[in-house]
Amino acid sequence: MPKFPSVDWFDTVRNMVNADEAFRRLGTVDARVGMKIGDVLYEVTFEAFECTGVKEVDENTLRELDFWLEQTPEEWRDMIENIKTHGAADLSHTLNTIDLTNPEGFAKSYDGYKRDAFYRFNQSLQHFFDSSAKIDTQFAVGANA
Amino acid sequence: MADQTAATAIEIPPDIAEMAKTAAWPEDLIRTLLERGAEPADLKRYMGMGVSADQVREFMAQQDAAGVGQAGPQLDLAWMRVPTEWGTRAKPTKHGLTLDAINVGKYGDVPDRWEYASEMPRGAVPILGVEGMGYTVYEKQELWADNAGALYEEAIQRRWRPASDIDWASLQPLPDDLERAICQICTHFSEKAQLEADVLAGWEPELSYGYHEVKLYLATVIFEGARHAEVFRKRALSNGGGLGLQSTGWGFRSVTDARNFTEMISVQMLLQDGFTLAQYEFCEKYAPHAAEKLLFRLAMQDKARHVAYALAHLKYVLLHKHDRRGELDRYLDKGEAMLAADDKDVATREAFAVLFAGGRDNIATGLQTYEDMRRRQVAQYLERLKWATMDRAGQLFPALRQYAPQTESNGTGAH
Repeated sequence: MPKFPSVDWFDTVRNMVNADEAFRRLGTVDARVGMKIGDVLYEVTFEAFECTGVKEVDENTLRELDFWLEQTPEEWRDMIENIKTHGAADLSHTLNTIDLTNPEGFAKSYDGYKRDAFYRFNQSLQHFFDSSAKIDTQFAVGANA
Repeated sequence: MADQTAATAIEIPPDIAEMAKTAAWPEDLIRTLLERGAEPADLKRYMGMGVSADQVREFMAQQDAAGVGQAGPQLDLAWMRVPTEWGTRAKPTKHGLTLDAINVGKYGDVPDRWEYASEMPRGAVPILGVEGMGYTVYEKQELWADNAGALYEEAIQRRWRPASDIDWASLQPLPDDLERAICQICTHFSEKAQLEADVLAGWEPELSYGYHEVKLYLATVIFEGARHAEVFRKRALSNGGGLGLQSTGWGFRSVTDARNFTEMISVQMLLQDGFTLAQYEFCEKYAPHAAEKLLFRLAMQDKARHVAYALAHLKYVLLHKHDRRGELDRYLDKGEAMLAADDKDVATREAFAVLFAGGRDNIATGLQTYEDMRRRQVAQYLERLKWATMDRAGQLFPALRQYAPQTESNGTGAH
């Protein structure tokens, strides 16, 4: 059971979408996306039809990314558990909805052009996280951590 | 002796002789070509294109080897010897064989000015006497964006099908006020999308052929305009409602009245599409069904590409034609004023408010959310412009200025 957050968890989802014809049918994705869970930061890279890599990075990398998704560990857990419960994000847990609901924002960037990659590839990113409904996740925070 | 007679029989026209000196084509080669029936105009054209004497001899040798001119079928086959860049083997990338991947050698040279009035593809050999196509945009700075080829490929790969990708059967009956609000909004979006397709389709024949990356990308934008006109009309007519009021169309005028391509792109695809993108974002958040949320997410993807092209074009213009900066500000002044005038469209504003509030009973809350959307639209607009090297925070049209962010969102410059 992969633990969230970890390279192992993102790698598990990465391998799932790379073998998923439905993900490929959504089209090419070209973006370097950060996943910021509290103080921990991962870079997930998408190139053409696949997710090509996951690695833990430090804050100095943020400016190189197209954008990053940032929440507290508790908020990430809420999102991933919601996806697990419903098989996909429900009406209030899609990436875009969270971005508009969180007063601090969810999708962030230093670059007014690159941040729009969040919209250009939105359904692929949503599919990436929705795919995590197929795995059991152990969380580093919360009651069952 | 016979050779001497032939040599003296062929007169080399003085202008050909002059050009031959510059092109380093020896006189005996010119004479041989004229003896073989070559037209002086063709010789001038090939010399003007930089074809070398050795290349000509090679063509002649190929012609001899092929038996051209000997007994047998009378074939021309001159087209097989055109001096284009030959031996090109573009390699597929992870994305497949893309437009950018085939931009190799001379085929990848995008000139600052395209010299041909015909529909000749970039890298082909021109022929004389072809009728002009009536293009009006011949300068790269008037239309170019470095991301155009990649956006074309992205648009093709990420296309979607409203008829079957949206689970229309999953829509559930909604309270009358909410259904009416969604239908009014969809009427507005459908109308705007059709207008964008019409306007861009009008500009396509103006853009000269040398910049095919842009022409091809804009073809996808036209198709996406059709797709959005389709999908929003389908939503309005699929859940017990119908179409609503047409839009006041103030904002449309600044687009249809645009006199040059960059003006149209700045107002339509940067300003208007940027604001529409934020509307799609809010509609995705407040949509009552998963099917509608998917619809808006897919529409967001298309719209964000439009903004990406417009931004890259604007940046290209500003970096290569500094003296256009004031002109571009004027276009945005006009565009913002007309966009702000669209707030007179009470029907659409109230419909957004009803959707955001979940019904007319809480419409005051919905109107506050509408204001939040306006703030987001303005903030995103200013951030995008900053990337394109334009700072319009102090120049915004007054009706929009009140929505501009006062400070950076988190003190780090991230947004």
